[in-house]
Amino acid sequence: MREYGLLGSNILDSDFSFEIKIKEGAGAFVCGEETALIGSIEGKRGMPRSRPPFPAIAGLFGSPTIINNVETLGTLPNILRNGPDWYTRFGKEGNRGTKTFSLVGKIRRPGLIEVQLGTTLREIIFDIGGGVQKPFKAIQTGGPSGGCLSEEFLDLTVDYESLASAGSIMGSGGLIVMDEDTCIVDLAKYFLDFTQKESCGKCVPCRVGTKHILEILQRITEGEGSPDDLLALRTLGDTIKKGALCGLGQTAPNPVLTTLRYFRNEYLEHIKDHTCRATVCKSLIEYRVIKEKCTGCQSCVRVCPTGAITGPRSEPHNLDASKCIKCRSCYEICRYDAIAGDAIVIRTAERQS
Amino acid sequence: MTKEKKVSITIDNRKVEAKAKTTILQAARDNNIDIPSLCALEHLPSYGACRLCVVEVDGIRGFPTSCTTPVEDGMVIRTDTAEVRTLRQEVLKLLLSEHPASCLFCEEQTDCKNFQGTIRKVGVTTGCRYCPNDDMCELQEVTKKVGLTETSYPVYYRNFPVEKEDPFYDRDYNLCLLCGRCVRVCNDVRLNGTLSFKQRGKMTTIGPAFGRSHLEAGCEFCGACVAVCPTGALSAKASKWSGKPDEVVESTCPYCPIGCTLDLKVKAGEVVDVSADYDSPTEHGLICVKGRFAIPEYVLSPDRLARPTILKPEGYDFLPWEEALDEAAAKLKAAGPKNTFVVVSPQLSNEDLFVAQRFAREVIGTEAILSSVIFDLGSDLRSFVDLVVMSEQIDTIEETKGILTIGLDTTYGFTPLGIAVKKAAKKGAILVTVSEHECNLDMLSEEAFQSDAAKWPEFMDGIMKSMSGNGTRKSKAAAPLFKKGDRNVVIIGPDAVFSGKRKEIFERVLAMRDNLGWKVIVCHPYTNLMGMLAMGALPGLKPGGLKSDGVLKLKDPAGVVDLKQNRKVGYFIGEAPSPEMPKCEYLIYENALPAPSGFDPNLILPAGLFTESPGTTISSEGKILTFNRASAPFAESKPDWWIISGIAARMKKGALKYSSLAAIQSEIKKSIPGFSGKERRVPRKKVVMEGKAAAAGNPFGPCRDAAAPAAFRGVPLHDHVAGMKAIEERRHK
Ligand code: SF4
Ligand code: SF4
Ligand code: SF4
Repeated sequence: MREYGLLGSNILDSDFSFEIKIKEGAGAFVCGEETALIGSIEGKRGMPRSRPPFPAIAGLFGSPTIINNVETLGTLPNILRNGPDWYTRFGKEGNRGTKTFSLVGKIRRPGLIEVQLGTTLREIIFDIGGGVQKPFKAIQTGGPSGGCLSEEFLDLTVDYESLASAGSIMGSGGLIVMDEDTCIVDLAKYFLDFTQKESCGKCVPCRVGTKHILEILQRITEGEGSPDDLLALRTLGDTIKKGALCGLGQTAPNPVLTTLRYFRNEYLEHIKDHTCRATVCKSLIEYRVIKEKCTGCQSCVRVCPTGAITGPRSEPHNLDASKCIKCRSCYEICRYDAIAGDAIVIRTAERQS
Repeated sequence: MTKEKKVSITIDNRKVEAKAKTTILQAARDNNIDIPSLCALEHLPSYGACRLCVVEVDGIRGFPTSCTTPVEDGMVIRTDTAEVRTLRQEVLKLLLSEHPASCLFCEEQTDCKNFQGTIRKVGVTTGCRYCPNDDMCELQEVTKKVGLTETSYPVYYRNFPVEKEDPFYDRDYNLCLLCGRCVRVCNDVRLNGTLSFKQRGKMTTIGPAFGRSHLEAGCEFCGACVAVCPTGALSAKASKWSGKPDEVVESTCPYCPIGCTLDLKVKAGEVVDVSADYDSPTEHGLICVKGRFAIPEYVLSPDRLARPTILKPEGYDFLPWEEALDEAAAKLKAAGPKNTFVVVSPQLSNEDLFVAQRFAREVIGTEAILSSVIFDLGSDLRSFVDLVVMSEQIDTIEETKGILTIGLDTTYGFTPLGIAVKKAAKKGAILVTVSEHECNLDMLSEEAFQSDAAKWPEFMDGIMKSMSGNGTRKSKAAAPLFKKGDRNVVIIGPDAVFSGKRKEIFERVLAMRDNLGWKVIVCHPYTNLMGMLAMGALPGLKPGGLKSDGVLKLKDPAGVVDLKQNRKVGYFIGEAPSPEMPKCEYLIYENALPAPSGFDPNLILPAGLFTESPGTTISSEGKILTFNRASAPFAESKPDWWIISGIAARMKKGALKYSSLAAIQSEIKKSIPGFSGKERRVPRKKVVMEGKAAAAGNPFGPCRDAAAPAAFRGVPLHDHVAGMKAIEERRHK
């Protein structure tokens, strides 16, 4: 580019100078927040600071700064080439253009997709993504700080306002599809564990609040939750949303708040019935051999890493629950006899009986 | 003066004026509207971490923090709505789940405060003392303000080990709120950079990067972090458990001529702790480790001399003051003027120096008023005094274009000056450092030269040559940096003052000053050297020698008295004997702490220290500063002037009799220019050397070691202040 005179001082003999400097970050999640990003570029610890003043007024090294992500810059050539009219043909009123998503999870055709704004989730999941193998359960939009939407939102159009009205965000453009094998509480816990670890530690609501949420979710997945916890989760979520300094904190409770809204029953099942319908929460499940169905094929004996399953060939096996670490290996492998079906079952809610 | 711009805003339905560019928090506080906050602090950049100062502002989404949001004309702010209150309470609850809250929500709290009651089965009533900050804690205050009476979240005790390895202060980060005040004060105010945040999320903690100790990380032990910490996380070892001070007395640091203002914290009649005064015009609160941490342990040392003591053949014995003064008077009288010398410390107050020189001249009748200054500097005294008297103020550094430091490291002393240099360098001044080892200013310097002190004069020649146009090859790098006509300042540190080449160095500095217009600042340990000059406490220099026209006529001490002559009686006032000083058969030792080993005084007179006996001192900038009384005299000790005039009264009736400090001060005012004026500043202009000059070189053998430990009244601080040992060790590494 320099050779063509497109880069450097006084490009193309104009009085405009244009330089590009690439600065590699160390990859902290919080550095996606613009002020933390600026701090990181300045060589400081990647910690957000309060706005105002906004970067456009005092940003990098105190100078006015405009921050754009790669995706935005990536659309520019096409707009320049084809003109704005061409671009505004895509999308819908107020949300023009396209957006790329990374479509992953329990979907037949995962991958990166680009769609017009305003496409429905159903289209994305079932047309583009080819649908889900097992029954569809939920979709998390916007990455770890986004919201988790249930089946009833499948006809929601993907645009900024619609997502926000459902309590989620467009965020980083992540779409994670989940089927019935996903436990909603575990999912929320997973995302909170992430944001809690990635919190820069500066402001109290985010640093401490996310930790409390995580602890409560942890309790619930262990069957130790109480109905009061749901209220506590709400209060914490609200406090963090209102009180946190930067986007990371303000959006961190989203997975919890949305799942609480749309999958409240699953929380209650964990708390009251001590069951996890997706059979994910280890404390709530137990593995057993159904003697009548077991053919004694030994497959499970071989895969069990702790030697919890014993028994001679061709005789029903024995599973020692005290040794079992609930790794699911036996359950997955037990497919030997089509007639016998799955001889190893995962039972939930037996603990309490 | 241009009038400061004001904006008008509405806070809680009240229309108020606020300075443009301040934050909402500041504007509210200026108008007596209280918003709780834990991380904001005057003098520190705003941070916005504790989230307690949230408010509602029309037109701003959500709940902005008032400490970070600048005011704008016409802003409408509500600081106390129900929603704001709830949010504050919720946030504080979260905050307290990281912090032990036993002192905040104990049911026995009121009773405990009132009656010190406890339910423990002990025969005495005790109050719990779980935290050094109890009763002085901002967290306690804020909890009250926010109106929280219980917390619903479980406490996550972080279980960090309490860090006690470093000298002077302990760190218990289990109590830390991560308010970042310490990090900001260390980086943004002290420009030191020892502290930073470590880790992320709930693991976040404070400390030097890479797990180094504070000592290794270059901490100055200025204690600024301890002072700003709102909780008990950081606490000074020596004063940790002394509780809330009864009284705070403003005074002056006696350890070096910068003369920082100190707030002495008094508990039960003892000075237990010290804090800086950020509003002080000279050092702006940027005190060093000595002023911050080395005072309580020194003045409260268990070795303090308590009673007059005499050496008898069978050993030391106490005696009453009357007899001790009689004894001293008799010995001095018997020896006569020719066979006596007096040694005064440059760290005495003006009043003590004034009385001491009068005593030597008028009562004993000798000019042999010796001091460590004379023996340390020998024949270089004249040029040294010349440079000192004409020293610039610290403030001038800020406006300079070029700074050259020679033999200066400001980690453990002269920090106000060091920080001014760092500030100037950050603002773009050219800084060149010359030292024997790495020094703390190197980081910000344009060029840092490390070489043997013997090469420094040559180096300075190079700079001078380059400024007049033709640089030598050697200092080419530094040469073009300084320009003639620019405002340049050269700062000479103790390593230069006490180097073997100081004669040559002083010569160069004088030439730079007189020929090239450099400003000069000298860093030296002689606290009240200016006072010695003004009071006439040098051989051949009468009081008022520092004339009102600012000219100082100085005689070479060696030309006035025989500095090598051993005499019968030596009277040491606030100074310890050293091998370079003349010997005496009978040693009268008047000081607060014992003489160094190897010297057995015949008569010991316990003297009071600056915290006990008030007085004045003159800073290197010529300002007259005050030591205020903060505590009662230690045991039977007496002020120096009281002892001296007591002896005088016994030697020569009516010659010298002072009953109070005020009497001395009114006499000083009469005879010494500058003292009575409003400005309280002694005049300084020019030093003229009179009389015959002594032979070149130091007549006393090798000069004082540049690495000599920091001392007060001849006694090394590290002998009595535990933490100073670590500091001296590190200084010599
Ligand atoms: S004592 Fe001073 S230099 Fe050391 S960490 Fe604290 S603020 Fe920084
Ligand atoms: S140690 Fe004290 S000043 Fe430093 S962050 Fe913690 S609470 Fe704040
Ligand atoms: S810089 Fe000097 S006057 Fe200031 S605190 Fe340190 S020793 Fe005392």
